[in-house]
Order: sequence, then structure tokens, then C-alpha cells
Amino acid sequence: MYFHIFINSLKVLFKNKMLIFWTFIFPIVLGTLFNMAFSNIEKEEMFNIIDIGIVNDDNYKNNQAYNMAFSYLGNVDDDNRIFNISYGSKDKLQDMLEKEDISGYLYLDTTAHIIIKSNGINESVFKYVVEEINTISNGIQELEFRSIEEISKYAISLMNSEVKVNDTTKKNMSYTMIEFYTLIAMTCLYGATLSMYSLNQILPNMSNKGKRVAVSPVSKFKMILASLGASFITQLIGVLLLFIYTIFILNVDYGSNIFLVILLAIVGSFSGLALGVFVSSILKKNENTKLGFIIGITMVYSFFAGMMGITMKYIIDKNMPIINKINPVNMITDGLYALYYYDTLDRYIFNIISLLIFSFILIFISFIFLRRQKYDSI
Amino acid sequence: MANIISVKNLTKEYGSLKAVDDLSFYVKEGEILGLLGPNGSGKTTTINSILSLLKFNKGSIKIFGEEMKPDSYDIKSKIGVIFQEVSVFDELTVYDNIDYFCGLYVSDKNTRIKYVEEAIELVGLTDFKKFYPKQLSGGLLRRLNIACGIAHKPKLIFLDEPTVAVDPQSRNSILDGIKKLRDDGATIVYTTHYMEEVEILCDRVIILDKGKIIAEGTIDELKKLANIEEKVTIEAYNLSEDFLHSVSELKNVLEVKYVDGLLTISFGKGKSNLINIIEYLKEKKVDYNSIFSERPTLNDVFLELTGKDLRD
Ligand SMILES: Nc1ncnc2c1ncn2[C@@H]1O[C@H](COP(=O)(O)OP(=O)(O)O)[C@@H](O)[C@H]1O
Ligand SMILES: [Mg+2]
Repeated sequence: MYFHIFINSLKVLFKNKMLIFWTFIFPIVLGTLFNMAFSNIEKEEMFNIIDIGIVNDDNYKNNQAYNMAFSYLGNVDDDNRIFNISYGSKDKLQDMLEKEDISGYLYLDTTAHIIIKSNGINESVFKYVVEEINTISNGIQELEFRSIEEISKYAISLMNSEVKVNDTTKKNMSYTMIEFYTLIAMTCLYGATLSMYSLNQILPNMSNKGKRVAVSPVSKFKMILASLGASFITQLIGVLLLFIYTIFILNVDYGSNIFLVILLAIVGSFSGLALGVFVSSILKKNENTKLGFIIGITMVYSFFAGMMGITMKYIIDKNMPIINKINPVNMITDGLYALYYYDTLDRYIFNIISLLIFSFILIFISFIFLRRQKYDSI
Repeated sequence: MANIISVKNLTKEYGSLKAVDDLSFYVKEGEILGLLGPNGSGKTTTINSILSLLKFNKGSIKIFGEEMKPDSYDIKSKIGVIFQEVSVFDELTVYDNIDYFCGLYVSDKNTRIKYVEEAIELVGLTDFKKFYPKQLSGGLLRRLNIACGIAHKPKLIFLDEPTVAVDPQSRNSILDGIKKLRDDGATIVYTTHYMEEVEILCDRVIILDKGKIIAEGTIDELKKLANIEEKVTIEAYNLSEDFLHSVSELKNVLEVKYVDGLLTISFGKGKSNLINIIEYLKEKKVDYNSIFSERPTLNDVFLELTGKDLRD
């Protein structure tokens, strides 16, 4: 009996074009569009290199940290370089600055000095990088290669977002990467359409088919378990397809620990399922309205989590952090991001737990409604 | 014969509206019971209450001698329900729809294949097994709806207005199918607002209005409730006021109506009414084109009891 219901629920979901579009097709199309858009941006970035100068006197030559950092950031052979560096005497560089051949120059004595002529995004980036190198080299003495890489990436995102972020403790978020993380997260949440639809078919107060089911000798609990089981499997297949597509076709890098990435996607999908259960059992509206509601709220979630540009995420995180604290798309995105950039799992685990709490709250509330066997009105 | 269903003092209110008002009745084994009433008279509410889908304010429901509750799975396994609205999966074919709902009752695959085929046969959808609901006409869709509810061979079947908006051919096929189910031993509760269907189909009828039973019995018993015994309609032109008045004075005549050349005379109890009027016409030398006589319908009964037409 369980198997019969399960298989038929699967059949119904896979044959429903609308649901398959939102959970399977739409994310892949969106991913492809992202890929096209970003590959252009990244090409442009290569030309968007800041011209700077460095006074290469003994002070500079003897400073390991600065040497290492700028030779990396100005490496002509590296696609990620952000500076085109002219070395020379202070006079020569001052001259170049007057002619606006460079945005600014650096000279070191006991501290680092930056000489600039105006205040633009290039100057900000330059200043930011020098400050970062200063902080790091003062703090740990030894400048690790990885942290320079991060500074560089963050500088790039600064240039792209054109937002001056003062919070320099925030690590880099690569532009493209965060978009794909939100894409995965969005797809997990779109799974809500599947669980909503499946559940709607068996609730007598939500659909006529549900009345049929309710007068049959199958217990409500068994029905719910079988149909949500089917919707969860369908959802996971959709997410898996997106992973395969983004990894193998779009060459997105999710980091080295793919099992933790998958675990996060499964927990994320579960939160999507919970959202669908919630919408199905609470909202007494027709299926299309419920579908629209889920799609709408997921879009808003994704927008706040940085899908349409990381600027939004910065603004939300800075001004209204509560929004993203209860935003499941952000929890998934942030978890993926934490997995990629941090060596410890604290932040990853925090996000997993947040997602589970989010899911169980929704399921608990839904359960109160789902328990009913008889209705005041249907 | 045993009572399959007994309903006692069922009352259901929606807010301040009494949709079902102190209803008591029973359904006997092997009969087709008709619940006849205009839209909004409480037929669907009654059925949903009996099925334990709706909470009701008062009353008790017994089916197969036991109290009906949401978890009375034993009772439920012997019931089939066809709801008023078509409820099938658009994503599944005719065959798969019936198989799905049948599978909620019948686990054995081979039995199910047999049952599904038989249901398809019964409602006459053999040529449409692979069709999707969207490809079916209204009538065929209704037939599919019925097949989904009866494929598991229930002992007790509820049909809630299964012929609404159906073409005559489908309607006849549906009514024949229902009779066949009864002949095969099922007990049937059939709701409708079409009195013609009740007259063709039902062994016993309960007439509902505003949530109350206003009459109950076999068709013949009910017709006796109408004062009218016979209605005679005569096509004749240019009848005078005097003549019409004299007709209304004749024996057994209750009412005389004359509209657009059609004279309708309602007779109360009594014999030979038709012969009497034909002789009276001859005597008065009135020319007429045609004449025919009708027995009263359930509509006349309804009219008599409520003062309004059953038809919308
Ligand atoms: N869910 C509901 N909420 C409020 N009123 C309802 C509801 N369902 C039915 N009613 C009212 O109850 C009465 C009986 O309705 P119903 O049982 O559907 O009648 P029928 O099936 O005979 O057409 C009607 O007046 C109808 O408007
Ligand atoms: Mg009704």
C-alpha cells in the first residue's frame, strides 16, 4: 500500500510540467544565464586593473610581507592580478601621479604611506589592500599565501559592487561563487512546490482528491509519509541534476568536501519540504496561489541572500541582520560559502542547525493543522 | 432487511446557518435511496457528515451497525464515494487514475487489474484507457469519476450528483451502471436535484429542503402526497372565459390554467377524469388539436409541500 501510494505520487510529480519546470528546468536555465553574464564580467575584470606605484627603496625591499603580497597581486602572469605596478623613486612616481598615469603610490618608512590624488573606487581598493597587509603582517608576522588570495578576491568584489565596505573582517566572496550558492539554495527551497502539491492531493480540506483519500481505509499518517517521501526524492533528484550540471558543464567549484556540500543540500531540501508542508496545510487557497506564494517568497529569500548581486546581502547583513538569520536561502548559501572559505566547520554547522530549527518549527505548526481528522467546513 | 446506515438527529451548522437540521433516516440493504432536493438543501453536507469528513453539532451515525468515526477503517474499506466535484489526477491516464484509487483498497495486483478492467467496462470507458482527463468530454470525465469510486467493489456506495452537466448519452450510461451495481448487491445512496433521475432509479426517496426531510417513501407513496391525481393538457384555441369557468366547476377539478392555447387541468383523486373531460368537450362542441394526460411528478409533490418549484 505504502509503495503503491509512493510510486503514484512520484508519477504525478514527474508528469506535472509546472512543478518540473520550477524545480528542474528553471534553476538550470538560471545557472546558464549566470554563467554567461559572469564570464563576461570576469573578462572585463582582467582589463580593470589598477595602476599603482611603489617606491622600491631599501625599506620596501626589506619588508617581506609587502614584497610577497604585491608580487602576487601584481603578477602579470596571474589572471587574478589587480594591480599594474610601476616601481621607481618617489619623485618619478609623484610625477606619474600628477599625470594620472597611476591612481596612487606607496612608500614605506616606519609605517606605510599611501599618496593619492582623488577618492575613487580604485583608490579605495588600494587603501584597503595596504591596510589589510598591514593588519595581517603586524598581527601574525607571517603572511600566508591564502590570505593574500582572499584580499585579492575581496578587492575584486569591492570593485564590482562599488560598495565601500568598512567591515574589513569580512572575507572575500567571489562574485560568481555566491550566485551559484544561492542558485543551489533556491532550488532546495523550490522543492517546497513539490511537497505542497503532494500534500494538497491528500488533504480533504484542500482538494477533492483529498476527500477521496480521506474516506479510504488508509491512515492519514501513512498517506502523508508516502507522498512526502515521493516529493522529497523528486526534490533531491532536481538538486542533484543541478549539481551535476553546474559542476561538469559550468565548472563551478564547490570546494573539496563534497560530502558536506551534499549533506547541506539535503538538509536545505528538507527545509524546502517543510516550507511546502507549511504552505499546504496552513493556507486555505488554491494550488496555483500556493505555488505562486512559494515561488515568490523563495525569490525574495534568494534576493536577500545575494542572488541578484552581492550588494543586497551586504546591505541586509549590515542593516537588518535578522532577515538573513531567518532566511533559509541565506543559511544554505552561507553554509556552502563557509565550507569553501573556512577551515573550521563552526559556521557550517551553525547553518545546518539553523536550517533544522527552521524546518522543525514549520513542521510543528503544520502538524497542529494536519492532525485534524474531521473538519468544521470543507 | 438490515439497515446499512442509520442516521439519528443529525444537525450541522455553518456559523448561524443550519445546513442540516435534525435529520433522521436509514438506508436498507440492497436499495437505492435517493436524496432529492434543490441546490443548497443540505445533500452534500449530509453525506460528508455521514462519512466523518465534517464535524457535526449533533447526532449519531451508524454504518454496518457500527458507529462511524474517522478511523473506522473497517467500515471505510467497504464504502465507495463519488463526490460532487470531479476528483481525478490530471497527470494520470484513465487507467492509472482508477488503479490508483482502487489501490487504496485492494493491495493484490492481479485482483486490482481485474477490478480496474471491470470498472472501465461498467462505465463504458474501454476505448479511453490511455486518455488523460483533459482529453475527455464532460460526460466521459464524470464516468471516470464514478469508476474511481467504485472499482474496489464497495458494499455501500455514495453518489453525490454524479450527472450534473452531463450529456444524455452519458447520463443513461451512468444510470444503467448504477442499477447494475445495485443488482450486483451494492446499497446505494444517490443525491440529485433531478426528479426524473430519482423516478427512474430509486427504490425509495427522501425529499430535502433547507436541511429538513419534508417527505419520505417510495415514488408511488410520495405521489399520493400530491393532491393531484392527473394532469390533462389540451391544445385548443379561442376558449371563452365562460367555458373556462365551467370547466373549473367540473367534478374533481382542482385548477385550470390557460396559456398560449394550452389548457391545463389538474384533477384531484377520482377515476375517469380524462374520459369525462373528452365527453364534456364533445358536448360543448369545442374543437381541439390534441389532448394528453400526465401523472403527477415529484415536482408537483415538492410544489405541494413547499410552495416552490424543485427546478432551479
Ligand atoms: N463550507 C461551507 N461553509 C458555509 N456554508 C456552507 C458550506 N458548505 C455548504 N454550505 C451551505 O450549507 C447549505 C447546504 O449546502 P450543501 O450541503 O452543499 O447543499 P446541496 O448539496 O444540497 O446543494 C447551503 O446553504 C450552503 O450554502
Ligand atoms: Mg451538493
